[in-house]
Amino acid sequence: MTRTGSADLARASCLSADFALQRPDFSLTVRLEVGSEILVLFGPSGSGKTTTLNALAGLLAPDRGQIMLDGQILFRRNPEAKLVNVPARRRRVGYVFQNYALFPHLTARENIGFPLRGPDRQHRVDELLKRMNLAHLADRYPHELSGGQQQRVAIARTLASDPRMLLLDEPFSALDTAVRQHLQRDLLALQRELALPVIYVTHRLEDAFAVGQRLAVMHDGQLEQVGPIADVFRYPASPQVAEIMGIPNLFRARVTTAHADGLVLDWDGLELSALPQAIALGSMVTAYIRPEDVKILYPDRPLAEAVRDNLVTGRIVMSRPHPGGRVLHLALPNLYEIEVRHAAYTYAPLGLQVGDEVRLSLRRDALVVLSR
Amino acid sequence: MNWQPLLLSLQVTVVATMLMVVCGVPLALLLARRRFRGAALVETLVSLPLVLPPTVVGYYLLLVLGRGSPTVEWFGWQILFTWGAAAIASAIMGFPLFVLSARAAIAGVDPVLEHAARTLGSSELEVTRRVTLPLARRGILAGLVLGATRALGEFGATLMVAGSIPGRTQTLPLALYDAVQNRQYDQANVMVLLLTVLAFVSLWAVRRFEQPRQSFAASAISPQERL
Repeated sequence: MTRTGSADLARASCLSADFALQRPDFSLTVRLEVGSEILVLFGPSGSGKTTTLNALAGLLAPDRGQIMLDGQILFRRNPEAKLVNVPARRRRVGYVFQNYALFPHLTARENIGFPLRGPDRQHRVDELLKRMNLAHLADRYPHELSGGQQQRVAIARTLASDPRMLLLDEPFSALDTAVRQHLQRDLLALQRELALPVIYVTHRLEDAFAVGQRLAVMHDGQLEQVGPIADVFRYPASPQVAEIMGIPNLFRARVTTAHADGLVLDWDGLELSALPQAIALGSMVTAYIRPEDVKILYPDRPLAEAVRDNLVTGRIVMSRPHPGGRVLHLALPNLYEIEVRHAAYTYAPLGLQVGDEVRLSLRRDALVVLSR
Repeated sequence: MNWQPLLLSLQVTVVATMLMVVCGVPLALLLARRRFRGAALVETLVSLPLVLPPTVVGYYLLLVLGRGSPTVEWFGWQILFTWGAAAIASAIMGFPLFVLSARAAIAGVDPVLEHAARTLGSSELEVTRRVTLPLARRGILAGLVLGATRALGEFGATLMVAGSIPGRTQTLPLALYDAVQNRQYDQANVMVLLLTVLAFVSLWAVRRFEQPRQSFAASAISPQERL
């Protein structure tokens, strides 16, 4: 877990957390430095992501360690020093909960005004309503708002409390793609404007790529790897991290053609076409294809529409059973290996053996290009 | 018709209800939100008047409020056989209905909402006042109506500690008993009708309180995108 480059050390760190917590069936160890950036805390459910946020926000106390924000000790418990545990209400750590936790008995306006008091309360609420594009919804109750609107109210309410840091727990998981992309762009802009440390918890790879600058991969209460997103993808610190990412066939490629009909990628000599996407010509991208989406072709049958693209020849280098079928590893002309999974009954007539050469289609519509 | 017993009953019920709220809301919060040793014991004690004969409760009250008890010896507080004693007896008999209902309502408030209030700068008192109690208010109101209605109909314990002194401690249920003893069936009929209507209306109200508007239940659950 030491793949943090020198750039990270140079960063003026705002949050520094180093703590551990022990429960009968769970233990959590966290060591994190977060500057003015969006750090994505990534991992499967049950890995300790929400517990980490709760500890940072002061909703639960770790067994030992220290949490510092902007030079202030928020929490400290160790044998040599006096216990410090600043209560949640004094930490000024903004927390956008999963499902938003809006107060159902208050309108959007009252929710946003909740942390505020004093004479310019109304003014500040109006300001936040306007900046989050909520002015026309001010007097609605949460149940009268869509998921995306509720989310904006939750962020506005957090901002009203004048936070020094933002924690977002699966903020976009309940939203559909279009709304999610919109809100992700808003979040990026917001972070740039406020220059706060932001920790963004998700278990979705696409979310991580869309908003994150650095990625912290969490598994079983441990941080497995922390680093720039592309690095974590290219150089997983452990097979564990690669597995958490859940992407066997991940590769880096250069965009050689980009127009309305689609992309062409150059994967170290192998030309692959992909669906159209807004990506600059010449840029390096991370892409993958799920092992289930690689199709082996029968030499004597006509090609179906879906598998006419990205035809390559591969040599089987490994074959093993897995629940429900087989896993093959195939060597491609560019010397990379690709994993293929198929059900036990398919391809039986081909009698696939190690050493055989087969024709493949890396289905164009299944090739996922991550936009960074 | 003599309206004195009705007025006295209302007076006793109002004071008893206030006593229930003052003691019951903090206790309900404690039982719903804090784990402490003896919580089960406290809950059982509070529930006891539900199943004890009211005369037993009245007898305990005589011990606590009567001659030789600390309230009389130390504070000189002579409350037996006044309407105040009737109010205390009614409050204790209605107390479990109020506390159990309020406790359930408070326990039903999503703790994440309280956490949210804390991270937004609220003290524990503010969390209770601005989040927990408003969200539990339907259950609390339902408990209040139930407890008040029970207090209104209280007979046995009241008779033990306050007697049945016409014009001073004779509440509606006691007056009804008197009327029947004296074969004044016209009066008895009116009182029976009155007590039945009040009980019916309050149970009706409780039903209304306990059926939340959909709004509140819906929003905590995963929101569906409707942009």
